[in-house]
Amino acid sequence: MATVTAGRQFNPLKLRLALIGIILLMAWGVVAWRLVQVQVVTAPEIAERGLQQRLVSRELPPQRGKIFDRNGDLLAMTVEAESLYAVPGQVEEPLWVAQQFGTLLGVDPDVLYDRLTSDKDFVYIKRQVDGDVADELLALGVRGVYSLPESTRVYPAGEVASHVVGFVNIDGVGQEGLEIIYEDALRGIPGQELFERDKDGVPIPQGMNDIIPAVPGVDLNTTIDLPLQYQAQQACEDMVAEAEAEACWVVAIEVETGAVLAMTGAPAFDPNTKLTVDGEPFSNFNVRGIYEPGSTQKLITFAAALEEQTVEVGTVFPNVADVLELREGACEFDDDEVHGCYRDFDEHETVDMTVQQIFTQSSNVGTIRVAETLGEERLVEYIQAFGLGTSTGVDYGAEASGILNFAAGCETCWASGAIGYSVAVTPLQMAAAYAAIGNDGVWTTPHIVSSTIDAQGQTEVASLETRVIVSEQTARLMRELLAGVVESGTGQSGQVDGYRVGGKTGTANKLGEDGRYTEETRASFVGMAPIDDPKVVVAVVIDAPSHEYRTGGASAAPVFSRVMEHALHRLGVTPDGIE
Amino acid sequence: MSARPQPAPDPRQRLRVLRGKKIRKPTIAPWMIMVIVGITAFLGLVFARTSLDNSAFELAELNAAITQQAEINRELRIEIARLENPARIAPLAEEMGLVIPAETHQLLVDLDRDAPHLVQSNQEDTQ
Repeated sequence: MATVTAGRQFNPLKLRLALIGIILLMAWGVVAWRLVQVQVVTAPEIAERGLQQRLVSRELPPQRGKIFDRNGDLLAMTVEAESLYAVPGQVEEPLWVAQQFGTLLGVDPDVLYDRLTSDKDFVYIKRQVDGDVADELLALGVRGVYSLPESTRVYPAGEVASHVVGFVNIDGVGQEGLEIIYEDALRGIPGQELFERDKDGVPIPQGMNDIIPAVPGVDLNTTIDLPLQYQAQQACEDMVAEAEAEACWVVAIEVETGAVLAMTGAPAFDPNTKLTVDGEPFSNFNVRGIYEPGSTQKLITFAAALEEQTVEVGTVFPNVADVLELREGACEFDDDEVHGCYRDFDEHETVDMTVQQIFTQSSNVGTIRVAETLGEERLVEYIQAFGLGTSTGVDYGAEASGILNFAAGCETCWASGAIGYSVAVTPLQMAAAYAAIGNDGVWTTPHIVSSTIDAQGQTEVASLETRVIVSEQTARLMRELLAGVVESGTGQSGQVDGYRVGGKTGTANKLGEDGRYTEETRASFVGMAPIDDPKVVVAVVIDAPSHEYRTGGASAAPVFSRVMEHALHRLGVTPDGIE
Repeated sequence: MSARPQPAPDPRQRLRVLRGKKIRKPTIAPWMIMVIVGITAFLGLVFARTSLDNSAFELAELNAAITQQAEINRELRIEIARLENPARIAPLAEEMGLVIPAETHQLLVDLDRDAPHLVQSNQEDTQ
């Protein structure tokens, strides 16, 4: 009989269950292992990666500083605007868009069409458009046209202050005037914002939001008086029209402080287009233009001679003719290449003249004889001391230093220099030189910005350089000579009602392109008032007036009179010339 | 046989003390307290979070409003400056008949006299 051993029977079902269990266990193990890996081991790294995807950093542009005139009136400010752009690939009807948007925004439709049909991903339609205009255009719902916020510089005083303030480029960087010279201060420091955004780019309110705030640019308080600036510009524009001149420039300085009250000219200059009304590029002649000053330079010659006591006001020079020949035969040729022949503006008899008469009647020959007593070396020293040949240091970019042509070996340059030739100056240099006489012999750096104010309200006042050039006594004598020019000399049209005024006319022939003097002149007048205690100096230059207006007395002095009268009224100066 | 009188049963022996079910005061189970506390904390947390989110949205809206008002303020300042521009005012004043006087008069005040006297200076047109 066979014995059957009872044992554990092989059960395939159990085996399968065990296998499935093991597999499931392993699978869960893998999941658990991955879970631990993701949640524990690599969690910080993954969280950081996610954060980086959500985090967006953007620059916070600083608010550019404002510019004010001396009365607190706004001259320049930055506001928000919209820049319209397009994604050319999305624009369905580029021709229609170019015509409609081009017409409305003042952009050439052909240029716009070329942009809209280009293969670029981003093209500007027009930058810095007024917000309302941008909103209206976007409301049309044109596919592929969008806007982004940008800031734009606005000059509410327009042409009136543009000569001083200057302008910025499309990116808001200073290009001219105060805008460029104070670029670093005005610009401010950009800030940064770091924030989390959702999939639509919208900031997550409870997300990370770190802000380093932008530091606004400093505000500039200028010395410019806007109403006076306007009156000066009007006076210039009127004279340009009346005298059919090419240009007129005027600068007014407060005597005691060197503060520039007005600095403008005609043709006017539009800060938005950066062009003059004639379509010419703008350049501020008051600071950058140089010209031969002619007789206005005689102030320095006479001040030097009086200071060095080589002459007195009453010193008589005998036999002063209307022609002086410093080089033999120079006057035989009517050719300015042969230097050494000097003539007075008007022909006159040979007479004895006092120093005062020479100055009042603006005799070139007499002035050269006064300069002769001084000598070339001392004359040049005084010309330099009065600030000619070097920039004044005014806070306006790219100031011209002028030219002093006293080359060694030049036999007649000293004589030319004494009467305002062989030197080239800026109107501002001449105004500063006259202001030194008005300020009892103390020369002060002209300046346009009186103070800066930062975001914390801290005020910084400009520091000024001063130096003594001549004595108080000499300055007073010179002021009396200047008064004589206006009261009985060549500058009578520079008189101002109610005030005693002193000044000097200047008429210099312009150099032609061939280097020879032409018939065209630059007529100028520089003067001050009230003459006993001057408060304001005004310098006027008229470029190429018509023949009738070719002298400083005929064209520049009337402009001076208008500007000076307004300046004295604006400053509330008590009249001193009432008889 | 004589019957002996039975002693009267002690009335206390007839009374039995029965141990009844203990009447318990109704109490809240600790777990329920924990649940309630937990739910309350959760709701509080949700409420706080919601409030915080609302505040953040309000803050964002306020910031946007401040920015907008500041921009409006800047535009108004520019508008004021444009309106005050002498180049705008002077022609308007001229249209209204306001011109710079052709004659300049100075009023000299003599402190030793009772009334000021008028001095008329040059008659030239100063324009």
